[in-house]
Amino acid sequence: MATATAQASLLAANWMLFAYVGLAVALVVWGLILFAALRWRRRESSSAPLPPQFRNNFALEIGWTVLPLALVCVLFVYTYRAEAGVEALVPDPSVTVAVNGYRWGWTFSYRDGPTVHGSFANPPELVLPRGETSRIVLTSSDVNHSFWIPAFLFKRDAIPGRVTAFDIDPTTTGSYTGHCAEFCGYDHALMGFRVKVVTPGEFGRWLKSPAT
Amino acid sequence: MTIGLRLFISSAVFSIVIAVAYWFVAHEPAGTFLLGFMAFALTFLAGYMIVAEREADLWGDDGRATSADAAGEVVGSYSISSPLPLWSAAALASIGLGLVVSPAFAAMGAIAALALGALFIVQSR
Amino acid sequence: MSAQAALQPAARADLLSWLTTTDHKRIGILYLTTSLVYFGVAGLLAVAIRTQLSRPANTFVNAHTYAQLFTLHGTAMIFLFVAPFALGLANFLLPLQIGAPDMAFPRLNATSYWLFLFGGLIVFSGSATSEGAAANGWTSYAPLSEIKISTGLGEDLWIVGVFLVSVATILTAINFVTTVFVYRAPGMTMWRIPIFTWEMVATSLLIFMAFPALAADLLLLFVDRHLGGHAFDPAYGGSPILYQHLFWFFGHPEVYVMILPYFGVISEIIPVFSRKPIFGYTGLVLAAFAIAGLSMGVWAHHMFTTGAVDDPFFSFMSFLIAVPTGVKFFNWIGTMWRGSISFATPMLFSLGFLLNFLLGGITGVMVASPPIDFQAHQSYFIVAHMHYVLGGGSLFAIFAALFFWWPKMFGRKLNERLGKLCFWLLFIGFNITFLPMHVMGLEGMPRRVFTYPDTGHLALLNAIATSGSYVMVAGVLVFAWNVVVSAFDREPVGPDPWHANSLEWATSSPPPEYNFDRLPPIRSERPVFDARHPELRPDA
Repeated sequence: MATATAQASLLAANWMLFAYVGLAVALVVWGLILFAALRWRRRESSSAPLPPQFRNNFALEIGWTVLPLALVCVLFVYTYRAEAGVEALVPDPSVTVAVNGYRWGWTFSYRDGPTVHGSFANPPELVLPRGETSRIVLTSSDVNHSFWIPAFLFKRDAIPGRVTAFDIDPTTTGSYTGHCAEFCGYDHALMGFRVKVVTPGEFGRWLKSPAT
Repeated sequence: MTIGLRLFISSAVFSIVIAVAYWFVAHEPAGTFLLGFMAFALTFLAGYMIVAEREADLWGDDGRATSADAAGEVVGSYSISSPLPLWSAAALASIGLGLVVSPAFAAMGAIAALALGALFIVQSR
Repeated sequence: MSAQAALQPAARADLLSWLTTTDHKRIGILYLTTSLVYFGVAGLLAVAIRTQLSRPANTFVNAHTYAQLFTLHGTAMIFLFVAPFALGLANFLLPLQIGAPDMAFPRLNATSYWLFLFGGLIVFSGSATSEGAAANGWTSYAPLSEIKISTGLGEDLWIVGVFLVSVATILTAINFVTTVFVYRAPGMTMWRIPIFTWEMVATSLLIFMAFPALAADLLLLFVDRHLGGHAFDPAYGGSPILYQHLFWFFGHPEVYVMILPYFGVISEIIPVFSRKPIFGYTGLVLAAFAIAGLSMGVWAHHMFTTGAVDDPFFSFMSFLIAVPTGVKFFNWIGTMWRGSISFATPMLFSLGFLLNFLLGGITGVMVASPPIDFQAHQSYFIVAHMHYVLGGGSLFAIFAALFFWWPKMFGRKLNERLGKLCFWLLFIGFNITFLPMHVMGLEGMPRRVFTYPDTGHLALLNAIATSGSYVMVAGVLVFAWNVVVSAFDREPVGPDPWHANSLEWATSSPPPEYNFDRLPPIRSERPVFDARHPELRPDA
């Protein structure tokens, strides 16, 4: 998974861990199911003697309770650490943007900077500098929305009456799509936005003359 | 102690543990209230069952019993059919509709519910 | 136990007698029929959804209609099909499986059915109003569902209808628990009741604990909308997050209400078609209650992306649920192990269940990780997950149950060849529809959208998913045809056509009004098997 932010690297690592573990579990269990179904398919008539009528295997049952329990505990530790890393907030971000979701568009208000409006016809663009920490301070002015940037593997809900904050540390320049990810009415599907990661120099120039 | 009682007691204990753990981990009032109320309700159920079970003596709990043992026992009287269910449900639905569509429905439903309640009481005597 | 039930003359076959019946078997059949009709409707809504999404910028329906489509689809599938089907099946089976003549409260039982029927009709009646049916998703989040924004009557009708269905469900759960605790036949100790019955006890416990939270949430929403309340309105100190806490405190246990009965169905079918007892009976029972208990403590994993809840608590609890679920899987495999497996239609659907639900369960453990959920939440990845567990899981178990217990209910078997065709169409169609959705979500397609941009592989994946949905329709039509065709099957079915295990197979097909002429001795969880194989008789 190519990652575009420092947070996304942590998130992608978590995805890969679960994908591999999940795939391994799936192959083993599907394998057991299909093996049992095919290996012991009925070839005799139903008046033939019954197969062995066992009901329990204490060691096996304990084993397949304890081992998965240990596995999920290990997965939890990795998960906890990944989340803590992703949600960490630095004391002094370089950029702070207040993001407001509304029916049906977004407003990006830069502290000491411009305010960007936009909706479906003209999606708003969130410009961020590469290599520096940007703090997003998110809320909504009407109903629940969600600020989702798939390339960053991240979303946060925009809830009216609640202000929530998270940091983004972009590592790669580029242009990324954003969507609203919480159903908010008819034009929910049309509430897209863009995120543009530029070099710090370009960002400085953009701050001074955002019309370009 | 029957299995049923053990089930309710374990559920009650589990819910108390979860409610307390949730408060100390999350300090979140809505969830704590929900879990706490659930703990209270399950504890109440368990307590009630402890008292109720003192008089219980079910053939079903006797692993060696057969239907011959329990023959002739009167379990209760069953109604094979009854108009009450359909009309009670209609009355409740009417009240619900009345709250959103028109008070006429609600009035009809409320009157029907009272009438059915009276009919039920009379039938049960 | 020989109850002094009045031995009425044979039930009148006319339609009117169905309106006043309190016979659990008839009520069960009413539930099953009604829920299958709602399934048909919800399925058509799904086909409409998939048709709209078959290509980007499609104009099959507009955004307003689309919102009603997915709202009614979700509401009907969850509240009016998957859960009530299980309640109906249990209605029919529970007294038979424990050797009782009827439920503990027959009239209350019937009342629940009628409340369910009327509640569902009220929900759908919204589509006849000027502003259309409810259009806020089956979750109906506030503030979107508040009166300022959802001005139409459809939302209110949705609230009333779902409330009535909730009441019906709670009353049924009361009936189930009381019946199982009190009305078991002599010798039918709790450790000998079938696994399906145990799962229904666990499900009933979940219903008690969860549905009141929904009722409260709906009441608060109604008060907000019409009686000047502001529970969810931040301008007055209310909180949208509160709506979500109440909703998901119900909503998560609800999904276990929609799967535990079907775990029970699978646990009944696999032993019969493997000619072996269920493996790990005690483990299955303990796992059922572990799942039920833990499921009360995971609700906010639906709220990870709000930033308003303690993610680690809910993440850890959600991971834990994977353990008892895994135990069940291993027990089912253990039942097949070294058995003698025949692939009659019920067993085919059970195998399909195992294969499908495994994937759904694994993606479930994945999204229990908040870092993963930050991407997957409200995307098509989560749509894939939920449909694998509900569609690949519950739906397949529903068909398994239909084919398995049809002869008991109606006295004739469903056609086997059509049954196998139905299975393959559904299995192939289901996977073609929902497997691509994992990728669609990872490529950034949100859910509840009436259109999507032509980026990445979205157009191709959506087209594939839509074609799969048409294959599923074919499978359902084959089932409907099977029902018609088998109605003309004159071959009578005895009490035990499958050589099965539990007590319902000790009486005629269909059973007489009072259920049992005579009961075999009950010394294990499979009394009918024991009666067929006295040489293997367990010690009393």
